[in-house]
Amino acid sequence: MAYLVTFHWGWLLASLLLGLGMGWIAVVHRGPGVSRALAGWLAALAAALVAAALARVVPGRPGYWLELGLIMFAPYLVGCAIGSLLRAWVVARSVTTVSEPRP
Amino acid sequence: MHGFFKWSSKWWPGVIPLTVFWAIAAWTSTAPLEADLAARSAAALHDTVLDKTSIEVAGRDVTLAADAFSEDGRRNAVKSVEAVPGVRLVNDETHLVPEAKPFVWSAERDVVRVTIAGSAPLPASKAKLVESARGALKGVEVADQMKLARGAPDRFEDAAELLLGQIGKLKEGKFTISDTGVSLSGMARELGDREAIAAAMKSLPEGFKVAANDIRAPPYVFQAYKDPVALTLTLSGDVPDDSVHAAIVAAAGRKFFSEKVVDNLKTSIGAPGGFAAAVVPALGALSRLSTGTLAVSDREVKLQGDALYDGAAAQIRAGLGKDFPQAWPFKAEISVKPAVAPVDATVCQQLLSELLGKTSIRFETGRATIDPDSTGLLDHLVEVALRCPTSDIEISGHTDSDGDAEANQALSEKRAQAVVDYLVKAGLPAARFTAVGYGSTQPRVPNDSEEGKAQNRRIEFLVK
Repeated sequence: MAYLVTFHWGWLLASLLLGLGMGWIAVVHRGPGVSRALAGWLAALAAALVAAALARVVPGRPGYWLELGLIMFAPYLVGCAIGSLLRAWVVARSVTTVSEPRP
Repeated sequence: MHGFFKWSSKWWPGVIPLTVFWAIAAWTSTAPLEADLAARSAAALHDTVLDKTSIEVAGRDVTLAADAFSEDGRRNAVKSVEAVPGVRLVNDETHLVPEAKPFVWSAERDVVRVTIAGSAPLPASKAKLVESARGALKGVEVADQMKLARGAPDRFEDAAELLLGQIGKLKEGKFTISDTGVSLSGMARELGDREAIAAAMKSLPEGFKVAANDIRAPPYVFQAYKDPVALTLTLSGDVPDDSVHAAIVAAAGRKFFSEKVVDNLKTSIGAPGGFAAAVVPALGALSRLSTGTLAVSDREVKLQGDALYDGAAAQIRAGLGKDFPQAWPFKAEISVKPAVAPVDATVCQQLLSELLGKTSIRFETGRATIDPDSTGLLDHLVEVALRCPTSDIEISGHTDSDGDAEANQALSEKRAQAVVDYLVKAGLPAARFTAVGYGSTQPRVPNDSEEGKAQNRRIEFLVK
């Protein structure tokens, strides 16, 4: 793990930034979201992939690619979470500022 | 919290560029990652002794194939690669090298090269042995046909190095180690090398023993060449020791009265028994030839050349006499020198005096038996006598002044007669010769010194 992180830190940073951007947008985005059922399935899929990676059942290069994908997906999710929280906080502050009448 | 779930349901569009990133990352990083892991794995195995090591990396999985020299070594190799950071799995395809039973190693020397074959315990020892062979034989090609195997006896390498140190002493042959038994065969390079190799085997490492030593010594060679043009007798080859050396050179000096002795002999051990007893009579036979070569190889004596007349050729072919050792085979290829043109009495006398001026006919002390050292001279006298078939010759014996005059008279007559007998036996008509004894009545020089007396003890030829 540590080896992969040091070897791919550039890509992981890129994923994190992508996640931050996506999370920032997601708060004010009006497009369709993923349904709950689908989200459940996707989470299950992600868990299955993580389990496959940990169990080392996929051999050789595909196994490495799987690990690479998962290890890039993790900072993406973290980035999304941080981005959304930050945006939500910024939006909340501006709403409060607008609604309170000036003295 | 509800808001967070709502937002997260809208995170999916970012997965599309993320997938693109992932694809690019996978495309560009796989080969460098594999190369990096291969290099790290190879570095981890640097101190482990393995043969035919192959490291293949697919993703983060390493396939390690190698021949190990012990079970521990094999396991340690796999563990070392597993411990390399970044390696996910090791596919263990290592094997133990086969065990050789018996553990056989050999070094074979022929004219152009040394071939080292059989089993070696480790790659390092294999390289070391090849180096040793190169060091022992500078400039000789060393062919390495060793295979690696387990099962070498303790201190195998020391034993093999000792043998390689000795291989320069072989002309051709083979050293073999089979488990702890050492077998030696072949031909030693020089006299004494066989003994030197046998002595070196005493320092074999403990546990090793010489199972068979069939090394032969090279032939013990002695040669003498009589050159009638340069008037030299060249002695070459081996003699057993300094005293035999001196004895042979002295005998050659007595037998070859008109030739200069060129001494190229060297002292070597390993002479067959009775060497001097065989070589000295053989030199005597050579002294009877006008030109010839004597070659002694071990116990085989070969004499080639031209005798001075038919009778001499027949006598030499018949053998070297009773003093020559029986166990030594003697082979004579003797032809007869073509007859030389006849000469008149004056020239005949001149030639005879010339011969007798170089040396005199020698007899056993106080007796009328001709010394074998004088046969060469007598044969030359016969040859001259044959060239003047019409002249009669008086052969006179003289003694020094020591002893009783009557006895001296009798001895001088007997000695003159002995010479006549020799000439007649050689095929000359007895009627041509008269034997006369003068005792000490006609001294050539005063009898007041040992040298003077020696000069006065003589046989003279007078052509009439």
